[in-house]
Amino acid sequence: MLNVRDLHAGYGATPILFGVSLEVREGEAVALLGKNGMGKTTLMKAVMGFLRPWSGRVEFQGAGITGLTPHEIARRGVGLVPENRRIFPGLTVRENLELGLSAVRGRSAGLRRDRLTEVFRHFPRLAERIDQPGRTLSGGEQQMLAIGRVMMAGARIILMDEPTQGLAPAMVRHIREMIRELGRLGVTVLLVEQNARMALNVCDRGYIMEKGVIVFEGPARELRESPVTREKLGV
Amino acid sequence: MSNRTLAGAAVALAALAAVPALPFMSKYYLLLAFDALLFGAIAMSLDLLIGYTGLVSFGHAAFFGLGAYATAVCLERKIVSLWICLAAAVVVVGLYALLVSYFATARRGIYFALLTLIFAEVVYTFFRYTQTFGGSDGIQGVPAAELAPGVALDTPLKNYYLVLVFLALAWLTCRTLVGSHFGRVLVAIRENEDRARFLGYNVTRYKMGVCLVSALLTGVAGALYPGRSGFATPDLMLWTVSGEFIIMVMIGGLGTLVGPVIGGVFFVVLQEKVSSYVDWYFIVIGLVLVLIVLFMPKGLLGFRRVQGFAQWRSGQ
Repeated sequence: MLNVRDLHAGYGATPILFGVSLEVREGEAVALLGKNGMGKTTLMKAVMGFLRPWSGRVEFQGAGITGLTPHEIARRGVGLVPENRRIFPGLTVRENLELGLSAVRGRSAGLRRDRLTEVFRHFPRLAERIDQPGRTLSGGEQQMLAIGRVMMAGARIILMDEPTQGLAPAMVRHIREMIRELGRLGVTVLLVEQNARMALNVCDRGYIMEKGVIVFEGPARELRESPVTREKLGV
Repeated sequence: MSNRTLAGAAVALAALAAVPALPFMSKYYLLLAFDALLFGAIAMSLDLLIGYTGLVSFGHAAFFGLGAYATAVCLERKIVSLWICLAAAVVVVGLYALLVSYFATARRGIYFALLTLIFAEVVYTFFRYTQTFGGSDGIQGVPAAELAPGVALDTPLKNYYLVLVFLALAWLTCRTLVGSHFGRVLVAIRENEDRARFLGYNVTRYKMGVCLVSALLTGVAGALYPGRSGFATPDLMLWTVSGEFIIMVMIGGLGTLVGPVIGGVFFVVLQEKVSSYVDWYFIVIGLVLVLIVLFMPKGLLGFRRVQGFAQWRSGQ
């Protein structure tokens, strides 16, 4: 579904990615693991069109998306749940969610209601806070809102950048369940994480990235038990 | 739009409509009131950019001046229909705004401000040195426009009501815009442009759209100006005028629409009153602005949040 082939990219004259290749198949949850500064976020940016790759190719559903603008890539069904402050703090929960849906014209009010109901079924906490500004939500709630927003958009694949960073353990468990649930719903997920244990618990396969290249890949079970995982990630 | 908002607006409109009936109202005060509302409306349309979208335009004087020139050129050639004057202003300002916003919205932050400023300076220089449009004297002594054949807008009172109607329509336009989905996307752009992009919004197109609306409202306001003054001069497009528009928005309160109207009224009246006593009126205005920014960072409309000095020093 998402195919990255021999991607080279960087900032200014500084190369960050040295020929990264990875594949996410339809319905799969794939973990992209690695320590800080190994190029994981850079790869997300390049896939999303915020960074023009120096060479290589990104394909989504069989069509090349390299060189498209971020909004064009988003409209094709690639949803991003970015790291850190992830929402629009000045807009209410409802407005944040509805912004997720309305980028493409001609979506009916009925569809909006259905999707809202769907999001609230998964995150009842958001329903309680529907008219509160985003900035008043806790970190975990903001993360729910960011995930809810891409669910509203009907994304076919969701790229998640460090969704559990800085969250309390209870909230980490909640996010983990949410990713499992997305899998059951048939949504494809590419999960970028430093928390390898959590990621390998919910994902089918994993890649380990180091200094801008993929150094190891395999089924999640294999990665959980492999000494390479411990060596590369220190878990 | 809520009923309460509409009711408030109706009360404000009625109060403003009653202003000419005040006992001390003279021709002088009517003209002052005209300016106050006109610049209030301009500050409000600028608030769409600064307050809602987070784009600081440093070139709104050009939209204002181009609108004024469009009317003045028509009136000078004895085309006195107000509607033709307004249409001319909309076409001229609209084309110019498309050009400016096409280039300016490709850049963010300080570059947007600088590009709008540079374009405005080009327009200023063009009119300042082109004799066809009167050079530095501009176009003087134009006749009054006509609402309909034979119905000339030739008194301060008629012009006051004209600008009041314009202000009401401009407010309705801005209010509808910011309450719509379009308005929410603007706020999303202000808060995080990239985030709006990866949700699938063509951010550049939204920015150009709001630039166009803001510019056209300011241009139409400019088109009403020669009706009051009988002239259009290049000085209307000086960069300091753009700066004054920004100050009005700041004084009134960013992102509130009504605040900048109050800011515009406050600025015009203060400037007029102080300058009738002293030449160095801008020092006084500067001081007032400093005090407002320090103690009412949300502008006049945020007066309920006035804080004590000690509180402010401690940053709370």
